[in-house]
Amino acid sequence: MKNWRYLLYIVIFIWLLTLPLYTGVYLLNVLDIILIYLALALSWDMLLRSGQISFGMAGLFGVGGYAAVLTHLNAGLNPLISIVMGGLVAGVLAWLIGMAVLQLRGMYFAIVTLALAEIFRVIVRNLPDLTGGPEGTVLPSAIFAGNSTKTYWLVLTVAVISVIASEIFRRTRIHFALTSIRNDEIVAKSSGIDVFKYLVFIFAITSAIQGITGGAYAHIYGFVSPEGSFSVDFTLLPIAMALLGGMHSTWGPVVGAVVLGVVSEFLKLQIPYGHLLVYGVIIVITILFFPEGIVGTLGQKFKGNR
Amino acid sequence: MPSRFSSVVPWGRAHARAQAVMMNLVSKLKQSNYQIAVVTAVLVVILAFWKPHVLVEGLQRACLYAVIALPMALILGIVGIINLAHGDYMMLGAYFAYWLNVYTGMDPLVAILPALAAFFLIGIASYRAIIKYVLGAPELNQLLLTFGLAMVLEQLANLIWTSRPMKQPLKYVSSSANIGSFTFGTYEFVYVAAAMVVLVGLLLFLKRTDTGQAALAVGQNPRGAKLVGIDVDRTYLLIFSLSIALIGAIGAIFMTRHSIFPLVGAPFTMKSFCLIAMAGIGNLTGILWCSLILGLAENFVLSFRGYSGWADILFFALIVLVIVVRSRQRQVK
Repeated sequence: MKNWRYLLYIVIFIWLLTLPLYTGVYLLNVLDIILIYLALALSWDMLLRSGQISFGMAGLFGVGGYAAVLTHLNAGLNPLISIVMGGLVAGVLAWLIGMAVLQLRGMYFAIVTLALAEIFRVIVRNLPDLTGGPEGTVLPSAIFAGNSTKTYWLVLTVAVISVIASEIFRRTRIHFALTSIRNDEIVAKSSGIDVFKYLVFIFAITSAIQGITGGAYAHIYGFVSPEGSFSVDFTLLPIAMALLGGMHSTWGPVVGAVVLGVVSEFLKLQIPYGHLLVYGVIIVITILFFPEGIVGTLGQKFKGNR
Repeated sequence: MPSRFSSVVPWGRAHARAQAVMMNLVSKLKQSNYQIAVVTAVLVVILAFWKPHVLVEGLQRACLYAVIALPMALILGIVGIINLAHGDYMMLGAYFAYWLNVYTGMDPLVAILPALAAFFLIGIASYRAIIKYVLGAPELNQLLLTFGLAMVLEQLANLIWTSRPMKQPLKYVSSSANIGSFTFGTYEFVYVAAAMVVLVGLLLFLKRTDTGQAALAVGQNPRGAKLVGIDVDRTYLLIFSLSIALIGAIGAIFMTRHSIFPLVGAPFTMKSFCLIAMAGIGNLTGILWCSLILGLAENFVLSFRGYSGWADILFFALIVLVIVVRSRQRQVK
């Protein structure tokens, strides 16, 4: 039974890998977007498993994008290495921030992350010599000269890395540590879990993933700007996806990202302005009626039938 | 030696009394309220001589922040949920007054009254339809729900009225006065008046009326309030709707001076929360002091040419600082 499951994963992976051979450029572009949001949704959910909710995703996404673009332009790094640099910068930054603010819990942590995202945006906008100021910075050319197949493989790699990271965290002692912190912090502490250390660690790792995603996004589209790279979309959409799919799991955010990504492609054509309305409605309805999400609700049904 | 004389010699007693007064002052200074007041007073005196513009405009801006933060503090203190859609209700109030003005020619300041009534009903509807169901839910669900609600309101406004900024020209808003060679706008003092009316009104309501006392009791301990026979659900409904009504009316005042667009309210949500976190939950008067500090500081940065872009960061830097420092203080205790 278990081996069948792994076989299924490998088949899906190979199918995704060979997709560019028989599909068009449009579908690949749609998939790029879906996979980028998938990585963000997963990284958000990974932090959520410890009970901490972050509204600062757009901030670290933007920092990663700027770090990737600036190291590429100023230090002449290879685009791929500069994307890794973006993740590194975001991770180290999050580690430092985490040391300072992860004493906070609940809404205070959420608000502080939201404020930090705003702070990053203001700083970037007010340093025109380094970052290009409000207009942002444009790269001379997109990564791989805009080759959609290679771009797709790059994004797929980022998404697969985040899925693997999430699965590793699901199967090791980190998972138990984070879950017990979420359920009851005092119990976790008294059973010998270093709560603070684990929280800083998971915050840094998820931020690094967000930074890498931001770096990849910046290189694919070839520009960064304060309003574009720090857009609230990069906070809102992944949260809606993770919620809809189901929190605290790997496959919840994946399912949510695929469903919402496909739906939003249709909606963009139907309602050009305000298709984000649907995301807001989805968040509200999901919280009110099925807080377990698609995967959680279906999983319970299957278990109940057995 | 002085100790032997101190009880006999008159100046010794005066000295002791002065010392007692000083001790009293020092102990008062240790309370955060008084610290904030003293810092504000010193800043105000310095500013009045150096940059009077900053003082007047900072005062007006501070009162705008305070009047927006007060209803949010009421919800947070009594109903116990943090309403991330707060600024968006204000945006709706502004559009309400705008369209009332366009269709019926009603003055926005008169539109405060219909706005109060309409937003009281909207508050009831929001509470009954949405908020009620997450009162007992984990904090995470409450945050996400109001976050989603904020998105719905913003995008709905975007869909209906587009993102084009709208402004109604009103003659009286650009009135001004002079003191010597110093000219300043007088209309913006309407924010100061509004802040005073809302603050004093809320304090009187909470301290002097039975309903207000019941609301305070619910805010302190819902179960205890239920035990002594207070209808907790109705109190929540009343306080939530009252706050939404207030913020809708403030939207009507807001649109007289500012141009409005769907995202106009969103920054105020953050700033309001910042003020509440600074003052401490449940401290309504403290909000006024904190907003004075922030409003003056922000206008102070704005007054330097070339650095005005950094003014936005003040609020967010302060919120991070205040929350982190407060959490450290709590841990030490």
